[in-house]
Amino acid sequence: MAITQFVTVRPVSINEATLPTMTNVLSNAATPKPSLRLSAHRGPAALLSRRVIDLILFKTYAELKSEAQRTYIGVLWWLIEPIIFMSIFYFLFGVLFRRGTEGFVAFLLVGLAPWHWIQATTMQCSGAIIANYPLINQVFVPKFVFPTVILLTNTVKFLVVFLILLLYLSLSGDGPSWIWLQSFVVLGTVLLMIAGCGYLAAAVTPMLPDIRIVIDNVLRALFYFSGIFFEIDSMPETVRKWMNLNPFAMAIGDLRMVLIQHETPPIWHVLVLAGFGVALAALGLTIMRRYETRYAKLPV
Amino acid sequence: MTSPSEHSSIVSLSGVGVTFARRAIRLFRPEQPFWALKDVTFEVSPGETIGIIGHNAAGKSTLLKVIAGIISPDRGSIRRADINVSLLSLQVGFLPHLTGRENALLSAMLLGLSKRDAIERMGDIIAFADIGDFIDEPLKTYSAGMRARLGFSVAYYSTAELILIDEVFGVGDENFRRKSAKAIEETIRSHRTVVLVSHNLATIQDLSNRVVWIEHGCSHSVGPPDQVIKAYRQYQIDASRTHG
Repeated sequence: MAITQFVTVRPVSINEATLPTMTNVLSNAATPKPSLRLSAHRGPAALLSRRVIDLILFKTYAELKSEAQRTYIGVLWWLIEPIIFMSIFYFLFGVLFRRGTEGFVAFLLVGLAPWHWIQATTMQCSGAIIANYPLINQVFVPKFVFPTVILLTNTVKFLVVFLILLLYLSLSGDGPSWIWLQSFVVLGTVLLMIAGCGYLAAAVTPMLPDIRIVIDNVLRALFYFSGIFFEIDSMPETVRKWMNLNPFAMAIGDLRMVLIQHETPPIWHVLVLAGFGVALAALGLTIMRRYETRYAKLPV
Repeated sequence: MTSPSEHSSIVSLSGVGVTFARRAIRLFRPEQPFWALKDVTFEVSPGETIGIIGHNAAGKSTLLKVIAGIISPDRGSIRRADINVSLLSLQVGFLPHLTGRENALLSAMLLGLSKRDAIERMGDIIAFADIGDFIDEPLKTYSAGMRARLGFSVAYYSTAELILIDEVFGVGDENFRRKSAKAIEETIRSHRTVVLVSHNLATIQDLSNRVVWIEHGCSHSVGPPDQVIKAYRQYQIDASRTHG
C-alpha cells in the first residue's frame, strides 16, 4: 500500500497548539481607490444601485441575443412560437368545439397572449436561482437579479406578440381605438402580478424544489379556470362568483374589455390587481434578501 | 470584543462556522448538520498576503466564500471594512452565443465592476487576453485556450482591494500559463491585500506574510510562514506514522 502524506488525522482542539497571532501590518500600503461594488453586507439600498440596474439591463440584452442566436431563424421564433401555441387552442376550442362563434378568435387570442407571458415567466423564475447555482458560488450577485432578467426578457417577447395581436384586431375590424392605450395600464398590473409570482417562486423553490411541481399544476389549473377559452359569465352563478376571485381572470377580463368592447375597466380592478402583485413581489423580494447568502449553500 | 489590531484589520473572523444542510427544509426528522467550518478566527490587515493551508476538505474554499460574502457564517462573526472583495474566478457567466467582447463586459460586471469601469478596462482585458480580431466573434467559435485566456484576463482586471485566490494558477497554453501565473504573482507581491489558498507549501512560503492553517474546519494556527508550515509538516509526518 502506498504511503500517502495526506492521511486522516485526529481531530485537534484549536487552543491546543495555537501560535500567537502576529500581525504584519503594512499600514502605508497603497490600496486601489474604492469603486462601487456590491456586497451582501451592505444595506438594501446598495442592492439597487446604478451598477445592478446596468447589470440587469445588460444581462437582459445578453439573454435575448443569446436566445435569438441559438436557433437558425432566431427572433422569428418569438412570433412563430406564440402563434403556434394560439393556433392549437384556436383549432381545439374555436373550430372543434365552438365551430367559430363570431368574435371568438379575438376573445381567445386576447386571453392566450398574456397567459403565455404569465405562465412562461413564473415557471422560468422558479428555476432562476438554481439555474445560476454555479455563478452564485463564484461571485456575490443579488439574487433578485435572476428573476428580474427573466421577467424583462419575457416582457420584451410578449410585447412583440402583443403588437401582432393589436395588428390582428385592427385588421379584423375591432379597432384601432384610443381607448387601447388603457390596455398598457392593464398590462402594467399584469406585469406586477407576474413579478409577484416570479419573485416568490424564485425565492422559495431553491429551498423546496417540490414547489416547482406544485407551481406547474397550479398554473395549469389557473389556465383552465381563468376564462381564457370560455366566458366566465357563461358559467353557473355559484361557480362564477369563485372564478371571478381569480386575479388572472380579472386581468384578462379587463384586457378584453379594453381591446374588444372598447370600455374602461373599473379602477378598483387595477388597484386590487396592482396591490396583489406588489404584495407578492414584496414577499418574494424579502425572502430572497433574507436568504441572500444562504442560497449558495443549498444542496442542488 | 477588543483586539489590538481591530482598527487596522480589514477583515476579521471570529469563531466562524459554516454548515451545509443536506436538505434546506427538514420536515420530518432532524439531521446531524455537516460543519464545513467549525471555528475559524483570524484577521487580515491591509496590504498583507495571508496564505491558507490545510488538508483536502479542511474547509479552505468555504472559508474564501465566507470572506467574499458569497455565503454567511452560521455561527461566529465576520466583520469587513467597507472594501471591495473579489474571489478570483474564471469565465464567470460566459454565454457561448455572445461575442468575446460582450462576454468580457458581462463577466466584468458580474465580478463587480460598474459598466463604465468595465468598458474603460476593456482595452487592457482584450490586449492581455491576446485574442485579436476574434474578440468580436461569438464565444462558441473560440478554442478552449482562447476562452481560458479571456476568462483569466477579465478576472485579472476585475480584481478589487481584497483579492481571494484559490490556488495560484496559470491557464491556457504554455506561454500564457507562464504569463498569467506571473501576473498573479506580481499582484500578490504588490501592496494589494490577498488571501491565498494553496496546496503548494513552497508557493505559500514564498508569497505570504502570514499563514493560517485550517484543520478540520478550525484555525489550528496563525503565524509567520516558517513556523506554521514547519508545524504543519511535522503534523503530517506524525499523522502518517500514527496511521502507518
